[in-house]
Amino acid sequence: MTVGGERWRGPRAYADVRYEVDVNGRVLHVDVHRVNGSFVVTVDGHEWTIDAARVDAHTLSLLVGSSSQEVTIAPDTVPGQLAVGIRGVPLSATLNGRRRWSRGDDGGASGGPQRLTAPMPGKIVRVLAKVGTAVQPRQPLVVVEAMKMENELRAIRNGIVSEVLVQEGQSVDAGTLLLVVAPE
Amino acid sequence: MNKILVANRGEIAVRIIRACREMGIATVAVYSECDRTALHVRLADEACAIGPNAPRESYLNIERILTAARTTGADAVHPGYGFLAENEEFAKAVIDQGLTFIGPTPDAIALMGSKTAARLAARRAGVPLVPGTETPLGKDVSDAEIEKAANAVGYPLLVKAVSGGGGKGMRTVVEREDLLGAVRRARSEAGAAFGDSSVYFERRISRPRHVEIQLLGDHHGTVLPFVERECSIQRRHQKVVEESPSLAVTPQIRHAMMSAAAAVARAVGYTNAGTIEFLLDEDGRFYFLEMNTRLQVEHPVTEMVTGIDLVRWQIRIARGERLDLDPERLATPVGHAIECRIYAEDPDNAFLPSPGKIVQLRVPSGPGIRDDSGASAGREVPIFYDPLVSKLIAWAEDRPAAIARMRRALSEYVIAGIKTTIPFFAWLLTQPEFVGGEFHTSYLDEVLSDRNGRSFVEVEEAAETVAAMAVALRAVLSPEATAADTDGTSAEGDRRWRALARAEGVR
Repeated sequence: MTVGGERWRGPRAYADVRYEVDVNGRVLHVDVHRVNGSFVVTVDGHEWTIDAARVDAHTLSLLVGSSSQEVTIAPDTVPGQLAVGIRGVPLSATLNGRRRWSRGDDGGASGGPQRLTAPMPGKIVRVLAKVGTAVQPRQPLVVVEAMKMENELRAIRNGIVSEVLVQEGQSVDAGTLLLVVAPE
Repeated sequence: MNKILVANRGEIAVRIIRACREMGIATVAVYSECDRTALHVRLADEACAIGPNAPRESYLNIERILTAARTTGADAVHPGYGFLAENEEFAKAVIDQGLTFIGPTPDAIALMGSKTAARLAARRAGVPLVPGTETPLGKDVSDAEIEKAANAVGYPLLVKAVSGGGGKGMRTVVEREDLLGAVRRARSEAGAAFGDSSVYFERRISRPRHVEIQLLGDHHGTVLPFVERECSIQRRHQKVVEESPSLAVTPQIRHAMMSAAAAVARAVGYTNAGTIEFLLDEDGRFYFLEMNTRLQVEHPVTEMVTGIDLVRWQIRIARGERLDLDPERLATPVGHAIECRIYAEDPDNAFLPSPGKIVQLRVPSGPGIRDDSGASAGREVPIFYDPLVSKLIAWAEDRPAAIARMRRALSEYVIAGIKTTIPFFAWLLTQPEFVGGEFHTSYLDEVLSDRNGRSFVEVEEAAETVAAMAVALRAVLSPEATAADTDGTSAEGDRRWRALARAEGVR
């Protein structure tokens, strides 16, 4: 099995699966892979390593990097929907159909430049590539800190960094263009 | 007094049972069908079924409650608040059966339960009143007489039910031509709710605060007033946040208000616990509003700043003990306390009731936090009664610290399976008007109207990402639980409830 062009090493205790999760009306694509006792979770192309522990039937404790997130999940008042609670903040979610991660799937990326954007408002902690840097799939490019989590944003395939639009320490809004990787 | 029957349910029944247990007094709980496994039943020493779910057939059924008292050999009855707490027939029936009623005398309940009689009593005690009509306007009073009475009071005015409470049967009239219509609506609402369609008029004070004084009176002539409670944060005349002390009350106002409250209570020979409500205007003048002849929902904030257990004193007074508390202590609050009434309502859906099964419950704790609740995980919030889930109380050394503590506690509170007003309180406690103490009784309704249904929850994108991760990971870790939660059957009860709530026009 390959993910973004890289050979997958994890044990197959759990099927690697892709979910479509609708959160407050926004559809997020979530890929879950089990690796060495942790999970590697990709949300809309951005990847996190997560230690996930079940507390009880309705409570999960997630360590996203070192960020501790307690999440409660219960049936919502709307049938089929889930009520999610994160530190007193209620959200509504729907878990849509799942499908197996298929061989040769490149995570949605195809031809054309990769335009790396900030997935959430936050602060640029590190910029790991310069204009002209040749990058490999899954190579970390920019680290953004948000909600006390450091999120590594990675290359999805081979290419050359053609533009770097942010500096370390800079605050960015969700959707801000950070860096562009031109295809080789 | 060896065994007390608690003629109530929910958090207040639990509160009373706790006081009894601490005093070594046995308790009898009563319950309707849906409350068989309720917390108050499980915590009590004995429990008696008193009938079907409809309040009229159980918690309001005097005969069945008295039978339960006879069967179990209870020698006293505590009515809590709501239900039969301010029903003089009930108090009288309890006494006639040779039992002790833990509350004021039937005469005091009857007297102060009539708004116009209570105003008369306050006037006799020399306490200022909001200008208003002195006698009830019964259903036979002519339109001409109604208009004459209104002119004498002056506009804008409030039409209020003589037997009212909780904002029912109450209307504001700004323009003369709206008077008769408002009276008709108030009458029909009051008639349906209280069986008495009499109304009276009161001048509307501009931007008043609702400030009230807790009292205890013993059977030996002692009446002691407590430091005030600030209850101006109201939604549709229902209190939602209470605190003590009030930022608007200076030591001079406090002293005057406490003396006035005690004077009214003494004038009517009041015994046991009661509360006198005042309106405080922007110039620091206060006016008698009404008296509540029972333990109030918001009594814990007074307990937190004075260290006095009011329920324990209700019981001690009822068994004839002398009220030997130091009056200085009751007038001198230590620190600051705030209470949030957490309801099973959806604040982002016009505060519609949201009953259903609580599938997960984690109650906050730690320094200065008190949770008075009758809820438990795995149980339904029934559709038949008040949707109060919990009263969350935070005490700290000053008001900013109490607000911070309350916010911390709200963020720890997990109630899954139903919607609650927790997100609304989390929002309210950050509002500059609340933090600065700059509010009045219409503040909340005005802000809510301006917001026009805008959500109280501001979700960061990062939280959405975490939610998506968690939902996906749970589907991997607990596929059965996920399937159970999304199959839609658990929401069945809620839909039924919401339909019923709309049909009955509840709230």
